[in-house]
Amino acid sequence: MSDLDKAIAQLRACRPIPEAQVRELCHKARELLIEEGNVVTVAAPVTICGDIHGQFHDLMELFRVGGDPPDTNYLFMGDFVDRGFYSLESFLLLLCLKVRYPDRMTLIRGNHESRQITTVYGFYDECVRKYGSANVWRYCCDVFDYLALGAIVLGASNTLSPPNEHISSEDYADADIEIEVCNADGDIMSRFQRRDNEQRSPNGAEASAGSKMGPPGSGASGSSGGSSGNPTGAVLCVHGGLSPLIDTVDKIRLLDRKQEVPHEGAMCDLLWSDPDEIDGWGLSPRGAGFLFGADIVKVFNHRNDLSLIARAHQLVMEGFKEMFDASIVTVWSAPNYCYRCGNVAAVLELSEGGGGESILARSNGDVGRSDGGMRGVMMESESAPKNGPARRYRVFQAAPQDSRGMPAKKPVADYFL
Amino acid sequence: MAAAQPQVPHPSTDRKRVKVYELRNNDWFDRGTGFCTAGWHPVEDNQRELRVIVESEDQPERVLLETRICKEDGFHKQQETLIVWTEPSNGVDMALSFQEAEGCTMIWRFIHRVQQQLNPGATVEDDTLSDDLAMDMHNAVQLPEAALGNLNVIEDSMRALSTTAASRDALTKFVLNEGYILKLIPLVDQAEDFESLNDLHRLCNIMKLVILLNDTSIIEHAVSDECVIGVVGALEYDPDFPSHKANHRQWLKDSGRYKEVVRIEDGSILRKVHQTYRLLYLKDVVLARILDDNTFSVLNSLIFFNQVDIVQHIQANQAFLGELFDIFKTQGQDSRRKKEAVLFIQQCCSIAKNLQPPARQTLYNNFLSHGLLQVINFGLRHNDVAVRVGATDILVSMIDHDPQMIRRTIYHQIQEKQPPLTDSLIDLLLIEVDLGVKSQISDALKVLLDQGPPTQPEVYAKANGEHAVRLQPRMPTADPQQEQFLDIFYDQSAVKLFQSLILLKDRATMDFSVQQASMFTYLLEILCFFVRQHHHRSKFFVLNNDIVKRVGQLLVCKEKYLKLVAIRFLRQLISLQDEFYVKHISEKKVIGPILDVLVQTMPRDNLLSSACLEFFEHIKKENIKELMKYLVENHRDQLQKLVYVEIFRDIILKYDQTRGFSVSLDYFMEAEDDVRRKRPNVNPRTGGPMEYVTMDPAEEEYWNTSDDEEDQQAKVGSRTASANGMSPGTKLVDYGSDEDGDDHVEAGALSAEDEARLGSDKMDEEMPRLGEGAPPERLSEKRRREEDEEDDLGKLIQHKRRNSTSTSANSSNSPVFIRKGKNGTMRRDSGGGGGPKKIAITLGSSIKAGTNSKPEDEA
Repeated sequence: MSDLDKAIAQLRACRPIPEAQVRELCHKARELLIEEGNVVTVAAPVTICGDIHGQFHDLMELFRVGGDPPDTNYLFMGDFVDRGFYSLESFLLLLCLKVRYPDRMTLIRGNHESRQITTVYGFYDECVRKYGSANVWRYCCDVFDYLALGAIVLGASNTLSPPNEHISSEDYADADIEIEVCNADGDIMSRFQRRDNEQRSPNGAEASAGSKMGPPGSGASGSSGGSSGNPTGAVLCVHGGLSPLIDTVDKIRLLDRKQEVPHEGAMCDLLWSDPDEIDGWGLSPRGAGFLFGADIVKVFNHRNDLSLIARAHQLVMEGFKEMFDASIVTVWSAPNYCYRCGNVAAVLELSEGGGGESILARSNGDVGRSDGGMRGVMMESESAPKNGPARRYRVFQAAPQDSRGMPAKKPVADYFL
Repeated sequence: MAAAQPQVPHPSTDRKRVKVYELRNNDWFDRGTGFCTAGWHPVEDNQRELRVIVESEDQPERVLLETRICKEDGFHKQQETLIVWTEPSNGVDMALSFQEAEGCTMIWRFIHRVQQQLNPGATVEDDTLSDDLAMDMHNAVQLPEAALGNLNVIEDSMRALSTTAASRDALTKFVLNEGYILKLIPLVDQAEDFESLNDLHRLCNIMKLVILLNDTSIIEHAVSDECVIGVVGALEYDPDFPSHKANHRQWLKDSGRYKEVVRIEDGSILRKVHQTYRLLYLKDVVLARILDDNTFSVLNSLIFFNQVDIVQHIQANQAFLGELFDIFKTQGQDSRRKKEAVLFIQQCCSIAKNLQPPARQTLYNNFLSHGLLQVINFGLRHNDVAVRVGATDILVSMIDHDPQMIRRTIYHQIQEKQPPLTDSLIDLLLIEVDLGVKSQISDALKVLLDQGPPTQPEVYAKANGEHAVRLQPRMPTADPQQEQFLDIFYDQSAVKLFQSLILLKDRATMDFSVQQASMFTYLLEILCFFVRQHHHRSKFFVLNNDIVKRVGQLLVCKEKYLKLVAIRFLRQLISLQDEFYVKHISEKKVIGPILDVLVQTMPRDNLLSSACLEFFEHIKKENIKELMKYLVENHRDQLQKLVYVEIFRDIILKYDQTRGFSVSLDYFMEAEDDVRRKRPNVNPRTGGPMEYVTMDPAEEEYWNTSDDEEDQQAKVGSRTASANGMSPGTKLVDYGSDEDGDDHVEAGALSAEDEARLGSDKMDEEMPRLGEGAPPERLSEKRRREEDEEDDLGKLIQHKRRNSTSTSANSSNSPVFIRKGKNGTMRRDSGGGGGPKKIAITLGSSIKAGTNSKPEDEA
């Protein structure tokens, strides 16, 4: 068993690894992350996860529900740390997995992966308590500066594979399912077929699906649309959202990302913005980033040949929320946020395209694109809006209380005052 | 984020807004919106019945729903805001969808409790509890005697009483008057003796309810010597974790946790020390998961006031301080005691960060007068890394509080011909192995060598917030002591600090140990900072020691992160928009190696190639002709291989179009300039302190001055001829956020014209972008607003300055730095000579340019 595997085992037991080992790990991670582009290319199948916020036991639950790495490919959209009591273990575990399985784990940066934010919202404090000094916090912050800003998922299929082994794939062959919601055990809670006309709206109290599963107000998914028959476009994953300074994905590639998250500018917006029911751009109440409306998303997706933007950054009680005719989705992966919000969490699964959509090189330092990467895969095209990939949301609750110790911060050992 | 759901429902007299739904033909039928109440309702024969009633919103007399709560468990809570049930009378499925989660929770708890009551298995008689149940409570309360047999009654009653404000008050009074906590405590031991887990769980719930009553006196009582062990003992058996038992008692009983370096004679202060520790333990460990916001803030304020008292006591206690600092004065004293004394002071300082600035100031003054600097010196050289960390922490917290305070000490050292503190810091930085200490020392060096503002009467106000700085009239002269300090630094210390960089000259290979490589990253980050801050001094230093050439050497090392640091340093130089550095860079031929780095990585899309591309993009965007000329004339072949990248195509094109026709070149560039440069010139105002321009005459004056400088810069800068007849001055007049739109139109027109003239094929791509990539007019509005927001954020992180400094060190784009830089540098520069003036303005604009704050910049 290598040191790394030992570290993974130790972290899985929620025990921090020694400082020297953290330093080593961060060093390796840096070597790896420096080779990633600002926008990492990821091939489907992949499971996309939202905020974790140091809820280690719920991260374990996420792995139970979504499949253990490296058997499942994961893409985490940032905010690994702060608020929960196990930011350190959660982030280090993810980082270990990244170093151990670089092609099966993708970590991108969230607004909490920043020195300023972590000193206010708990990660700094936690590191000092657990190690007696801020060194580990510094190592981690250095790694934060190297994290990619976004990811592009290519080759996602517009059909789903069965969610568990009890269901035969024949059942899936005919059903043209666009959205499927499963519970933590893989049982199907609801399904939405790709529609041909404009009548379905799974959200909203009035037009409920009619079963007791979705009583009014519980709408677990947003409206979604898209006409069938088109090939699936790429999925852009960022923590926050869009920026008025970024009109093409390739613009993101021109940022020098190795820095603390600025308070304004493109890099800031990508990590801080939120979609909202407005026209165009609006002020963000957060004081950083912008609000952006459906029109912005539509134009951006069209221009960049995207079918969907997946993002995190906002608590959604149902774990996920599709907006703007399913052109953007918020995925939230911290159940019972802050141990008291009472929300469920979700991960988004995209299946592999069956149509032999070829092996896509990952931009982990490989030569990926014939044209050298500048004008890249994201060329503007004249085609109609792309059809969304088939999406399976696995919804899960906070880890059973008993499976973990009592969540608490580590007490300060000695005191003088 | 979503509001936290309080653990104990707070009373709310207003009614809950709900929608009532009924399931008809498998479809939820909306019966209307109204207000929901639950409680006793009179029925015939003077009887009362528990009912849930919804009255219509628009027609208050109309009742949308009236349902009896019966003991059959027909109700379910779903999601946060939904209660569903099957109406027992007619079997219809019903749902109440609440507007707010809180209302739902409240009604749900009520229903739930009623059903528990109605459950025949309950051991309580209905009539004793029926009064407690109602949502409106009467005043005096009485709980049964504290005994194991009564625990279930106690718990249920308490839970019921916790629901309304009045009954909570009554319960609080009861608990305090009866000394109820003390009565409950023996039960923990009893229940443990009987191994009655059930009772222990109930005791835990009861104790939680008592604490969550949120009463300062109760909490103070709970952490008192007589109670605390019993209270945390009860809390060890959390029914949420039936198979776990915490060991709070063991932890808190361990008296070894308290380290007494110097005896605190005052009994009440000593009690507060222990009490504070227990409160922290309660907050962080015992109650961490269940704390609601109210209790959290009650705990925090108790802790805060205790800490204020403790620190006040210490700093006013000369005898205590004398004894504390004497520990370091005696030779051969117990080294463990010295270590603990350093850690004690460290903890004092970290507590002081939470205090009001005047109190903090007095504490530091008292520390300093007792010889704190010697202690820091002692600590920094200690062989135990924990002590070194402690000493740097102390130093950094004082610097965070007020760097001028430490600088004055340094001036004093200089006058006394002692080696200044900075020299010790440099020595340490060079030999320190602990990376944490190292990075803090490097941050400390930067702050100390920042050209501090002139001495001000209100020293602490400045440290407290940017407001103070902003409001103060900008002094035209720099502090002569700081000047002298910097002179000495650049005369003697800088060479020592950057020696390893200078010594690269005689080095053939660029193989470094990890230690060396990390050293270079620190040094270059410090140097970046100096280059921004100490204009002519650092410029002279960079030239004299051929730093650019040395940094260029690092571009061929094998560590990619080190290459990155080198590129960022050179990028910093060109972003100063100083002709001098630009010339220097082209003379030293370091652009070639950057291009090599790019060519080596290029087909790949990684951090290094992004940094290189950003570097060349900046040259192109800022139209640094000298460097474009250098690039094309010396590296044309390499560029040709990269023409699939727009940046390089444009650079070659620009060069080819203008070669040999310098007038036309200027003409060309000028047109470009209008588009691309407008923003940076304007930005220091719109992006910056626009709103206080009118605040203060001195400020006004300052801005006028800077405008002149800006003119000057514009003239002296790269554009010598203004071929299009527009003087730079004219441009500067039409700044202003309201004209973003105009700017835009103009930008669009000009650039389209350009494109046409250039005959470029990328016009198609350009046009739509200008159309729809246009930012909303609100952009400037947002920026102004962000200024306000930033202040808030600034306050939030204010006492964590350490981190923000490392932040700014890391990135020229860091907003925190921008603030400081804007206020700081400009004030200074307006007083400086011609040289610095020029740089000052370019700095301002370059920072803005660096943040890409306008889409035109991207064009």
